Amino acid sequence: MIKRTAAVLATVGATALVLAGCSGSSAPADAGPVPITFWHGYTEADGKVLDQIVADFNASQDTYVITTETKTWAVIDDTLLPSLSSKQGPDIVAMPAERLPVYADKGAFADLSDFYGSSDSNTADLVSQAKDMVTVNGTPYGVPTGFVPLAMFYNKALFAAAGITAAPTTWDEWVADAKKLTVDENGDGTPEQYGVAIPDHATVANGLWPSLFLSGGGNIVDGGTTAVIDSPENAATLKYWTDAITQDKISPTGLDGIAADKLFSSGKAAMHVGGPWMASIATDNNIDYGIAAIPAGPAEQAASAIGVSMGVTAQADDAKKAGAEAFFSYFFQKDVATKWSLGSGWPPLRTDIPLSDVSSNPVVASLSEIASTGRALLPGVVNSVDVLTDVDELTQKAVSGGDVTALLTTAQDKIQQAIG
Amino acid sequence: MTTQAPGARTRRPGAYRPPAPLGGRGSLRHSPRHRLTVIAFLTPAIVILTVFVAWPMISALRLSFTDASGFGREKFVGLDNYVRVFTDGDIVRAMGNTAVYAVLFTPVAIALALAFALLLNNPLLPLRGVFRTALFTPFIVSLAVAAFAWSYLLDPQVGLLNHWLRAVGIQLGNVLQDPNLAMPAVVLVAVWKSFGFYMVIFLAGLQDIPTSLYEAARVDGASALQRFWSITLPMLSNTLGFVVIVALIAALQAFDQIYVMTGGGPYGSTQTIVMEIYQSGFRKLDLGFASALSYVLLLITLVLSLAQFLFFSRREKDAA
Amino acid sequence: MTALASAPAATASPRPPRRRSPQARRRTLVSIALLVIVGIATLALMLPILIIVFTAFKPIAEVNAYPPTLLPGQWTLDNFTRIFTDLPFARLILNSFIFAGGVTAFALVFDSLAAYALARLDFRGSRVLLIAIIASLMIPFQATLIPIYQLVSDLGWVNSYAGLIAPRAADAFGIFFLRQFFLSLPRDLDNAARIDGASEFRIFRSIVLPNAVPALLTLGIFTFVNNWNDLLWPLVFTTQSEMGTVTSGLTLLTGPGGIIPQGVMMAGSLIALLPLAILFLLIQRRFVESVGTSGLK
Repeated sequence: MIKRTAAVLATVGATALVLAGCSGSSAPADAGPVPITFWHGYTEADGKVLDQIVADFNASQDTYVITTETKTWAVIDDTLLPSLSSKQGPDIVAMPAERLPVYADKGAFADLSDFYGSSDSNTADLVSQAKDMVTVNGTPYGVPTGFVPLAMFYNKALFAAAGITAAPTTWDEWVADAKKLTVDENGDGTPEQYGVAIPDHATVANGLWPSLFLSGGGNIVDGGTTAVIDSPENAATLKYWTDAITQDKISPTGLDGIAADKLFSSGKAAMHVGGPWMASIATDNNIDYGIAAIPAGPAEQAASAIGVSMGVTAQADDAKKAGAEAFFSYFFQKDVATKWSLGSGWPPLRTDIPLSDVSSNPVVASLSEIASTGRALLPGVVNSVDVLTDVDELTQKAVSGGDVTALLTTAQDKIQQAIG
Repeated sequence: MTTQAPGARTRRPGAYRPPAPLGGRGSLRHSPRHRLTVIAFLTPAIVILTVFVAWPMISALRLSFTDASGFGREKFVGLDNYVRVFTDGDIVRAMGNTAVYAVLFTPVAIALALAFALLLNNPLLPLRGVFRTALFTPFIVSLAVAAFAWSYLLDPQVGLLNHWLRAVGIQLGNVLQDPNLAMPAVVLVAVWKSFGFYMVIFLAGLQDIPTSLYEAARVDGASALQRFWSITLPMLSNTLGFVVIVALIAALQAFDQIYVMTGGGPYGSTQTIVMEIYQSGFRKLDLGFASALSYVLLLITLVLSLAQFLFFSRREKDAA
Repeated sequence: MTALASAPAATASPRPPRRRSPQARRRTLVSIALLVIVGIATLALMLPILIIVFTAFKPIAEVNAYPPTLLPGQWTLDNFTRIFTDLPFARLILNSFIFAGGVTAFALVFDSLAAYALARLDFRGSRVLLIAIIASLMIPFQATLIPIYQLVSDLGWVNSYAGLIAPRAADAFGIFFLRQFFLSLPRDLDNAARIDGASEFRIFRSIVLPNAVPALLTLGIFTFVNNWNDLLWPLVFTTQSEMGTVTSGLTLLTGPGGIIPQGVMMAGSLIALLPLAILFLLIQRRFVESVGTSGLK
């Protein structure tokens, strides 16, 4: 009996050892180019363009070899922590811009001040708002990989049917057009077609309400350390829009960003504030769409930006860090930056690339035209998770009829607590 | 290899001892052979559990007293994390939500599973195999996919359920964004997904009830309900006790479908403890706090389960 | 609940066949009533599954169309072809089988051995051990994921089957579950065998295990399904896409903006679901029929 059990155990142990040998990874050679791993979340055609750029970089020199690993952004976020904690993570990693400060604050990213200071880094002409998103407490911990303002997508067919010839450029025009485009044929109180899809929580890139607040002259957090959400400007903005939604019914309530995307792509909403991917989604759903800047508010025309940033992890040794920085410099060369812009469908990261260079991709051209409206989202805020939750609660309750003044006071306290 | 006859080692001249009961009181219990047997049976599982379960749990316990983020820079903070568990309003709210969830989920899931197990155990029901498989399918669907299907059903704009109910005059509204309906909705999804498994456990347990007992009861004139109360339930009490604990643990650890369907909202009304643990550990990179919260959850679950266990093992003794 | 009150809860002993007796007629009526009740309930509960099935065959434009429909207006296989062209699906399925199958095989063996010891062998500390094992179920895995990862990484098992399988080769749930089941089996037969001098392992293998087939099957299915569907575990322990499983591979279909092409996702889920459904269909009879072959009844 014992012998048999021992036999079983031995077989199991042997199997385990054999299985241990069957791993998928292979150790890189010691001599030769420095191997660098790069995780990114570009899963579609844009990922292939990025991988090609990396391949070109590898071919252009023989000191470093970068291998890319594509995972979704959510997966990167979930697995970066465990893998870095055991030095099994990547040397370079890209992530949504608002996630970078959290990791940087815990020491996951390397300080890139020297890189920015060096003259051949090609970083001098980068979009400054994009640089703000990688800066925490004055120190840059990454480089921008993508930066695009939210844009207003509108359904040209529905516009034509309502007799509207041009996209609105101010809030008043926006609401007026939306009212014309809201159709309740059977008079049951629920429109079949809405003028605009305005989500009141989990908005696209968490950016809709920050855009409205900024355009109205207010803000959420100032300098990364002070909550300023409770302001007369924000109160006015909230009141303006909640009235338009609840009284004029220009949008359904209770939407989140994804539901708003769906509403527009199913043709049930004539206007929608979305990201660059709406272009292909609209096309897939046979919608003749137009792109315009988010209409200007009383104070300015601001659009919260969707950002992707990449940085060098603390896991990378000096040689790998140098390699990463070499790649970044290559990435920001004018020709490469233009190639990346056209391939990713996002505006160029360098301000000195003329519109004519990106005219071959009409979506990129349209977005580049409105690039100046782009604003970083909660730059330098480490605990953006809680702040965005508090903003969501504020806007969702306001749209469902809550008292704006009281809600702003509560939000102010909570946000200040969140950013400590 | 054979063991010696039980009692052989203790035979004293002139004294007869009846054979010791299975490995029970009696000298057999301390025989080296018996000890070796026990060790042999336990070793593989214990090794795995010690290395991959016990040790990480100890690590987590240690982390709970630090402000670790998982990147090596950590500082001992004593009981700060634990104090925060009970003073942070969001965490207290999550505890309340989890309690509500558990109270809603556990009885409903178990009752549904038991009901279907009894129905499917009835030989008068045709196509039992088909029904068994069909009712088990929700369990084998992955939770993310199930959550999508349900979200799609309940979508206020394009949801089928809303569409059909509107046709008969019922306005569901935006279920997942209604603070009053969101929690029942996520509980419903969990019940739908889990009851099939509990049903199968009950089915297995029902097989072990000797039919002779029912026959005797029938002959004595007991009604179906009486047979259920006096035979089925007591004989199932082992199984029932197990399912209650397992369902309770699952309820207290609710996470997946909430993450996909509501993200903890609206206004944190579906935020459970494990949602908080996940967000603390993986979103805000506060591993120390996540660990402390996990241990508080463990203690609460342990206390509740021990209570259940004692209750049901007492019934088990009565039934045996 | 009339069905419960009127129908016997277990198989009645066979009666000699009669024709058209009032008993036979009543049984037919009960059968029909049961069929209708269970049938409707099952159909209602199957609705989300039907949605998954039908959405897999819908073209993109129809998935979010209004008014919503259950059946596709236009059946298409595009979603399925996309699965096979965009992903190394064959490799992913293989990995899923190795991972889920490996864990299930090891867990069934190790768990039943340990459960037998806890249920049948008396030893000092067995109660404490049982409580410790059950307690380990009560900590959410999010808390131990990183320590486990560090362990696996130190062993050099990241990106390997060993790393995926070993941590789950024995599990507290299985031990607890089987221990309860073994406890419920009457001890007469193994006591008799013990008196005859049989070894514990012999009793385990020849008496207890055969009677535990429903429980073993239940645990096997549970373990296999859970590991097959597990998303986070393979994602964390494999950093290379060719070691991924079906569920982790499907996440790669997420487009920009986090938008999941739902038709494709449903198609992929259907394919991932199929082996599990077939597996269960094949063995579900054994849950109820294995008792007939035991020596106890």
